[in-house]
Amino acid sequence: MAPELALGGLQHWLQAVIEAPGPVTRALASREAARLVRPGRTRDVVLPSKRLSADARVGVYQAMYLPRMLEALESDYPALAHFLGHAAWQRLVRAYVTAHPSRSYTLNELGRRLPEFVGRARVPRPAFCRDLARLEWAVAEVFDAPETPSLVERDLAAVAPGEWERARLVPVAALRLVELDHDAGTWLDSLKHETHRHPKVARRRSLLVVYRRNYGVMRREQTPAAFALLRDLVDGQPVGRAVARALGRRAAARLDGADAAFRLFREWAAMGLFQGVL
Amino acid sequence: MNRFGLPDLGVGIGLRTVHFGEILAGKPALDWFEVLSENFMDTGGRPLHVLERVVERYPVALHGVSLSIGSTDPLDRGYLRKLKALATRTRAAWVSDHLCFTGVLGRNTHDLLPLPYDSATLRHVTRRVKQVQDALERPLVLENPSTYLAYARSTMPEWEFLTALCDATGCGLLLDVNNVYVSSFNHGFDPRRYIDAIPAQRVVQVHLAGHTNLGTHIVDTHDGRAIPPVWKLYARLCARTGPVSTLFEWDAKIPPLAAVVREAAKARAFRTATAATGTDGA
Repeated sequence: MAPELALGGLQHWLQAVIEAPGPVTRALASREAARLVRPGRTRDVVLPSKRLSADARVGVYQAMYLPRMLEALESDYPALAHFLGHAAWQRLVRAYVTAHPSRSYTLNELGRRLPEFVGRARVPRPAFCRDLARLEWAVAEVFDAPETPSLVERDLAAVAPGEWERARLVPVAALRLVELDHDAGTWLDSLKHETHRHPKVARRRSLLVVYRRNYGVMRREQTPAAFALLRDLVDGQPVGRAVARALGRRAAARLDGADAAFRLFREWAAMGLFQGVL
Repeated sequence: MNRFGLPDLGVGIGLRTVHFGEILAGKPALDWFEVLSENFMDTGGRPLHVLERVVERYPVALHGVSLSIGSTDPLDRGYLRKLKALATRTRAAWVSDHLCFTGVLGRNTHDLLPLPYDSATLRHVTRRVKQVQDALERPLVLENPSTYLAYARSTMPEWEFLTALCDATGCGLLLDVNNVYVSSFNHGFDPRRYIDAIPAQRVVQVHLAGHTNLGTHIVDTHDGRAIPPVWKLYARLCARTGPVSTLFEWDAKIPPLAAVVREAAKARAFRTATAATGTDGA
C-alpha cells in the first residue's frame, strides 16, 4: 500500500500512466509513473474488479488517450492526416502529444504547435507537411474567429482623399495571411474529391489570404505585390506608407502604380477583409 | 420547480454540429437543448451563430467537461469567466459538469477521471464547488461519471459522496442513469441501491444514453439507444423525483436528428407514465 500518496500524487500517477505510450504494463513502469507507484503494486492503489485486474482497469483509461488525441487533431488537420496515412499520422500524433500535451481546457488549442513540429519530424516531405499544417491551422483559426462587421465600398468612398495618406485599415478578426513554399491549397482542395486524386507535391511559392464570408472559410491567392501590401496594412501601417513601400519594392513584389493599390483596396473590401478605417 | 427554483425543462437532447442544419430548418419536437460549454466558449463563427438561433427558440442548459472540480491544480479562473459569460449570453437555465478530475500539473487528459471517495477528497471538492458557485454566481450542478476503476483508499460509495457534497455545498445533481448502470456493472453494486439512495430533491437534471458492453467492463460510449435496464432505472428515479428535466445524449455514430428525437420521445412517455401512476412499474 502507498498510504503516503496524497490526492495530488494519486492524480499525478494516473495521469502519468494514461499519457505514457505502449501497453499499460509499460506505461505503469514509465519513469514518471513508477516514481509514484512501484510497478507491480497497482493493487495498492486500485482495486481489481470481478473481471479485470487493477492494471487492466487503469488500462481502460490509458487505451482511450491516444485515440482521443488522434480524433481531436484529425478534426483540425484532415489533409495532413490523409497525406501521411494512418500509421505515420499515429506516430506523429504520439510524438507530438508526448512533447506538447494539452495544457488548455479546450482541445481546440491542442494542434497549435503541430505545424512547426511536423516540419522537424521524421515524416515524408516534412517541408510540405509543415505548409499543409500551416494552412489547415489558419483555416481552423478563421473558422472560430469572432464575427466582426466588414467595411463596404461606400465606407471607403466616405474617406476624404486627403485622409488616405495617414489612414489605417483595421482587418477583420477572421483573416490570416499564409506564405507557403508549396501549393498546399490545391492539395487541400483535392481532398474534397471522392477520387482523392492528389496533385504531385512540388515546391511553388503560394501567398494566400484565408478569410470568412457568411460563416464559410474562403481562400484566395495573391500576387507577391498584393500580398506584401496587404501584409503591411494588416500589420497596421498607414495606407500612404504601405503604398509607398509597395511602389518601391523590387521586381515582382512591386506594385504597378497607385491605381493598382486602390483596385486592390476595392477587391479586398468586397471580400470583407477590413472592418474599419482609423 | 425543484428546490433550487430551477425549472423542469421537459425532455431535450444535446446540441450537436451534425444536426445544425435540421434544427434550423425545422422546429424539432423537443423542449430544450443541452449545450457543451467548451464547444462554444472560444468560437465566434458558425457554431455560435447557430447557438444564438437555437437560444431564440429553446431553453438551454450548459454542460461542461473541463471544470476538473476534483483536480489538485488551482481552478482555472479564465475558464470560469468564459463559462459565466456564455451562461449569461445563452440565458442558460443552469451550468453542469462532472464529479471528476481531467488533469493535474497544468496538463489536461480531456478524460473524466475518477476520484477516490474519502473524507479528504470530500473536503477538497467541497471547497472547490463553493469557489465555483461564488465565481459563477449560481448553483453548480454535478454529474455522476461513468467509472472504470475504483481506488483502494475510497471509504464510501459514490452515492454517499454525492449526497454529502450536496449537503455541504448546496450544489445540484445531474443524475446520469446510464452512468449509474455502467458503474454498477464495472464495480459490482446494485444500481437500484444507488437510485434509491441519492437525495431526490437535489436532482436538477437526468441524462440517458447508450453504452458498449465489452464483457469484462462497460464503456460509456454514447453511441446508441439506452438499453431496457437503463429505462427501468429511469422510471425508478422518476418515481422518486417526479418530472425532472431529462436529456438524451448521442455523441458517437450520431444518427439523423429524427432518431435522437425518438429516444427523447421515449423518455417523455416514461415521464408521463410515471407521473400518472406514481410508481416505476417494477
